[in-house]
Amino acid sequence: MVFLSLSFWREAGGAMNVNYLSVAPELILTVAVVLLLMIDVQWKPGYRWWGIAAALGFAGAIAASVMQWVGHRGEDAAEYFRGMIATDGFSAFAGILIFPIAAMALMTAWPLVRSLGRRGAEFVVLVMIAAAGAHLMAAASNLVMLFIALEVFSISLYVLAGFTRARADADEAALKYFLLGALASAIFLYGIALVFAATGTTSITGIATFLGNELLFRPGILLAGIALLVVGLGFKVSAAPFHVWAPDVYQGAPGGVTGFLAASAKIAGFAAAARVLTVALDARIEDWAPAIGVIAAVSIVVGTLLAIAQTDLKRMLAYSSVAHAGFILTALVGGAAGVADMWFYVATYAVQVVAAFGVAAVVSGPQQGPAPLADYAGLSTRSPGLALALGLMMLAMGGIPLTAGFVGKAAVFSAALDADYLWLVVLALVAAVAGLFFYLRVVVLMYMQPAEGSGSVPVPLGARIVLVVAAVVTVLAGVVPWPLLRWLGEALPG
Amino acid sequence: MTVTPGWYMALAAVLFVIGASGILLRRNALVMFMSVELMLNAVNLTFVAAGRELNVIDGQISVLFVMVVAAAEVVVGLAIIVAVFRRRKTASVDELAGLRG
Repeated sequence: MVFLSLSFWREAGGAMNVNYLSVAPELILTVAVVLLLMIDVQWKPGYRWWGIAAALGFAGAIAASVMQWVGHRGEDAAEYFRGMIATDGFSAFAGILIFPIAAMALMTAWPLVRSLGRRGAEFVVLVMIAAAGAHLMAAASNLVMLFIALEVFSISLYVLAGFTRARADADEAALKYFLLGALASAIFLYGIALVFAATGTTSITGIATFLGNELLFRPGILLAGIALLVVGLGFKVSAAPFHVWAPDVYQGAPGGVTGFLAASAKIAGFAAAARVLTVALDARIEDWAPAIGVIAAVSIVVGTLLAIAQTDLKRMLAYSSVAHAGFILTALVGGAAGVADMWFYVATYAVQVVAAFGVAAVVSGPQQGPAPLADYAGLSTRSPGLALALGLMMLAMGGIPLTAGFVGKAAVFSAALDADYLWLVVLALVAAVAGLFFYLRVVVLMYMQPAEGSGSVPVPLGARIVLVVAAVVTVLAGVVPWPLLRWLGEALPG
Repeated sequence: MTVTPGWYMALAAVLFVIGASGILLRRNALVMFMSVELMLNAVNLTFVAAGRELNVIDGQISVLFVMVVAAAEVVVGLAIIVAVFRRRKTASVDELAGLRG
């Protein structure tokens, strides 16, 4: 086997250029985690202090991300730690998005944390570590670094999915998630190894430089590597046909965890996909864009059709998230031009999905178990606030105008049209209309069916705040999306 | 006949396919997990062989990171499998059919 890149290797990158701001969100969260664990072991202060530690950690991480956004977007983007960490508008925006989403998910899961007793501290810690890993995925500018970040994120989520030991379906969800997640990681890693074998570097910008300058006469290894990278990332963002784990895991995991899992896996997975595809493999766009288009089409169709048949809200949202993964991939067929549109869809969908699973967590009680749709009949008379929030999220996910979901769909469709993927847009439009059926079914169930049980569902303060914030963001981003769209134009890889 | 790094790459590909087949065909969670480990080791072999062929150190360094991550994955994975085994007295994934639809 001959390697055409025999004489090529990357310069060592000069001096070890350290910049602590570039990893400040991770550092702050890790310090908060260590302090929380040590204080918990020594003084056993109870869940209030866990909440304070988590709030301080997330606040610090958000502040650090904002500082990265102010100082490093656009022209000032740079790579640090010998090309391991990229600090640019892309990674800064990922932090500004991921950390509030993680904090919101933790707030909806708070009744579960309290009911877990002493194990609650571990739950809070795992959410914080997973959030740090998710941001690192968006900031990694070396494929090996990306793999480590992916594993930090995934391994925390495997544990979180099975955290409620009392329920049999939770450890089933955890095992399924673990086995398929580990398989996806191995596939992704083999993709990294093959791309390394073909280009001689694991640096994302190094690969881009190599592919931009060299003409590969036998690109077989590189193409196999690209295919494996796409499959591995497709697993993580639950795109069809790699979605088989998603419904079981979403249904079995506790509601608050599911919201975080769904939102953060989309943010981190698509951030990693965008950086790998549009930066490292930009010169090979003719090879991967058609594959992404097909995966998007399959995801949209499969997700929409299977969601129609579901009788459990969490399972229905799982299939809907498969369809949404397809819609988001639609933005990437155009390469770098679609990254801002992808961000808009990912950001607004993350808010919607955290809020929707937040409602599911509240309605299904402190153990946050299954959420049969029958529980939601007549919810508007029992708990008007919950019904209003869930109804708004359903309308937004369906893409009704004046919600963020409509603007998001319009943005990704225009990106695909610019890239001449008319067939994909037509298919996605048809599927979006068909998808309205199951979103509106939930609304009809809540507002037009008689309530089975009486008595309102008590809504904890944390969930209440999350639902109000999510509703405001969803409506605001739907009515006046231009400021957000303009900012996202700067949230690009440097 | 000299054994070039290309041979090791081919061996790694075979190992990877064996591991992937194990995941798809075997029904015992422990064996499936061992198949994942086989896939990771196939990747390690690819990294070392490619690094040797290209004369860059990145390949060998990557292997160390992969081994650490695989060890962390073993800790969590075995804990989950033990939790499932305690409840159901079996590690067969065919018994895990409570969630479907």
